Amino acid sequence: MLKRIESKMHPSTWWVLAISLAVVAGTATNIVQTVSIAAASVLLILTFRENAPWARSLKFYLLLAVAVVVIRVLFRIVFSFSKPTDDVLLNLPSFELNFGLGAIGLLGDVSAAALNGALLDGSRLAAIILAIAVANTLANPRKLLKSAPGALYEIATSVSVAINLAPQLIESFARVKRARGLRGKGAKTSTLNGLLIPVLEDTLDRSLLLAASMDARGFGRKSSQSKGELLLARLLGLQALLAITVGVFTLLSGFSPTAALVLLLVGLVTSFISVRITSRRNSRTSISRTARTWVDFTVLTICGTGLAINFATAVSLI
Amino acid sequence: MISLKNFTFSYKNGDEPKLNRANISVEAGQFVLVCGATGGGKSTLLKSLVGLVPHFTGGTASGVRLVDGIDFSRAMPHDSAHLIGFVNQQPEGAFVADTVLEELAFALEQLAIPRDDMIRRVDHALAATGLSELRDRKLIELSGGQQQRVAIAAALSAGQKILILDEPTSALDPAAATELLEFVSELCRTRGITAIIAEHRIERLIGLVDSVIVVNSDGTVSQGKPAAQLANFKFVPPLIEMSHLMKWPEVLLSIDQAAERFVLSKPATPKRIAHLPLGEQVVLAENIAVDYGSLRAVDSVSVSAKRGEIVAITGENGSGKTSLLWALQGSGIKTAGSISIAGQDPAKLSPTDRLAVVTMVPQQAADLLFLPSLGEELTESDQVADAQGSSTSRLFEQFSGRVDPAIHPRDLSSGQQLSLVLAMQLAKDASVVLLDEPTRGLDYATKRQVAQVLRDLAAKGKCVIFASHDVEFIAQSADRVIQLEAGQIIADQPVEQALEYRADNSLASQVAQITKLPGVIALQQLVTDD
Repeated sequence: MLKRIESKMHPSTWWVLAISLAVVAGTATNIVQTVSIAAASVLLILTFRENAPWARSLKFYLLLAVAVVVIRVLFRIVFSFSKPTDDVLLNLPSFELNFGLGAIGLLGDVSAAALNGALLDGSRLAAIILAIAVANTLANPRKLLKSAPGALYEIATSVSVAINLAPQLIESFARVKRARGLRGKGAKTSTLNGLLIPVLEDTLDRSLLLAASMDARGFGRKSSQSKGELLLARLLGLQALLAITVGVFTLLSGFSPTAALVLLLVGLVTSFISVRITSRRNSRTSISRTARTWVDFTVLTICGTGLAINFATAVSLI
Repeated sequence: MISLKNFTFSYKNGDEPKLNRANISVEAGQFVLVCGATGGGKSTLLKSLVGLVPHFTGGTASGVRLVDGIDFSRAMPHDSAHLIGFVNQQPEGAFVADTVLEELAFALEQLAIPRDDMIRRVDHALAATGLSELRDRKLIELSGGQQQRVAIAAALSAGQKILILDEPTSALDPAAATELLEFVSELCRTRGITAIIAEHRIERLIGLVDSVIVVNSDGTVSQGKPAAQLANFKFVPPLIEMSHLMKWPEVLLSIDQAAERFVLSKPATPKRIAHLPLGEQVVLAENIAVDYGSLRAVDSVSVSAKRGEIVAITGENGSGKTSLLWALQGSGIKTAGSISIAGQDPAKLSPTDRLAVVTMVPQQAADLLFLPSLGEELTESDQVADAQGSSTSRLFEQFSGRVDPAIHPRDLSSGQQLSLVLAMQLAKDASVVLLDEPTRGLDYATKRQVAQVLRDLAAKGKCVIFASHDVEFIAQSADRVIQLEAGQIIADQPVEQALEYRADNSLASQVAQITKLPGVIALQQLVTDD
């Protein structure tokens, strides 16, 4: 039952869910919150993951999350930025380093509050990492690419083909490594070349084979779009880029937040129109229409409500 | 329907042309076979028909390519994609999507067919190719034969009327290969598809095709009726050689015709196959098992072999041949059992010590080649093997003749690459030589050479074990045949018995099927000495 819901879900919904979790984790104020978000993320992954190459990375994300917490706490113990004012938990000998750029205190007294703070910071980051892992392991990247607008079709196809090639690359690495053992130890044999060259040649051969197959099946047929339309789309794209660049500068310089907001909005709208125009030439169709269903809308509503509540509490706290 | 006029192609200006003023023309609904030597331009001809030559290979081409009456001489392959479907040797390498449905839809998506129409057409294409029950399956879960069928269905899903196949059976076992070729022939007859196919194992197709195109080594191309074309062709299967050997007035193109004719010709008593005297036992493997996770690839297999013996391991794809060879070599997985090669367990030896006992030529022989020139590969090999002077190059010359040492190993033909790796492995002078599918993609002449090399090795007291599903090659080279099925040995017999004619024997060689005589499997048994 659960699995069936998942396969119905649009890959972009997974991303919205993951980003919502990450935002809530980022504003969390105590460890109970961060830990429960991390736990929820892991539970989601374990429940919904498929047997696919991109779904096998949970272990990696978990290691990364633990490493982040450990490093954050160690840093707090090693570098003492301020003298503790409350009860001291650890009493370590203190050192001082000075390279002429101001003194850095090492070790020394560490308070419970400082450790607590470090743990919260670390776990917040860890929870964000695991939230992103939800999207990365559960959203089928190919399905996501297929819902990309027509203007981005070529890029989307290249990326999805590259995803296909990755597992093959691993397989040819294993094969070549085994074959290298048959060659015996020699001055030139044991260099990295003996592994890299056959694997790269193999990959190039395969890519060319695939490219030939795709072209022979019509990939890259020209559109019947007029030159004027294309020119318009390109000009709009350029204008969008300019507006966004200037907008970001204005925002960062703090000159006028309103002007920045207007510029960014103009940039977004024009880039949207540009993509729409180029997508209209879309001389292709797609068989897999991953439409959003009630499952997606339910999840999206929950995410929206959650974020709104989160935002409201954050504001009321200030 | 499709034709080339005065088509010339060469990789570099001034180089010998790969195709030299080729003129071919194929009518609608015809089934045409393309043959030629390994690396001799068959593939180039097919790719020229699709338009991949010169756009995907580089080089210069001149001449005219006509498809369905339209001139596509300067066009890219995608411009004629609605008319031509192309299928190559490795289906798994050419798949774009990950399910059958999406793979079939790819060409339709490029042609901007509306979605509802697309689904109808895909379902129609699946039904027409008998693949309806695979519609929602993942491509990687399919067998090699099924994958190749899906590739064909995908090449025809947009209603293409021309199907071009470049050695579609080279990765398939004999049963799957025969099935696939009959399937293509059926498409021609019932759906009016025009099919042009390159294939080494000519005998499977002679009876099915309407005409034969021969690509000669000088790049010239001729087209004609099968019997006339094959009468002068050099790289022919035993079936055709039979007509020459028995001095029959005409070349017979089917096993049945040849068998009827053979009975009338009253040949002299066939000779027995000459086996070399065997030496001491050098390979002893008992109850080997190989597991990949929960999958048992090899299941309590026991093999023994002596010096001077050539053993063939045969069986369908996935029956455990490769896993067994790697276990014998010592670097593969072995879950249970014991192996002794010349008194030592290869798995316990260091890679260097192991090479002194057992060497192996893997399926993708080119994996072993990575230096920039043939000369460097040969010197490096001598250094590794600690062999005297130029023993690797002498071995290589023996197999392939003289080749310019400055040439890049990747530019060698697949037969030459195999010879190079074989020479490198033999220079190490190990007692046991293992080979995994040594004849994949080779023409009949090169296969005969490889068979001769293996016999020379055995004569020097080596033990040779190879995996193959090439029955004719086994008939020429092996002493003993081990048949694997689902990881278990189902038969371990002398070659005469394994390949001889019996009603239920799917391994019977062509000569066995023609002569129907017990223990007669190879042409040399019929040659009279005078």
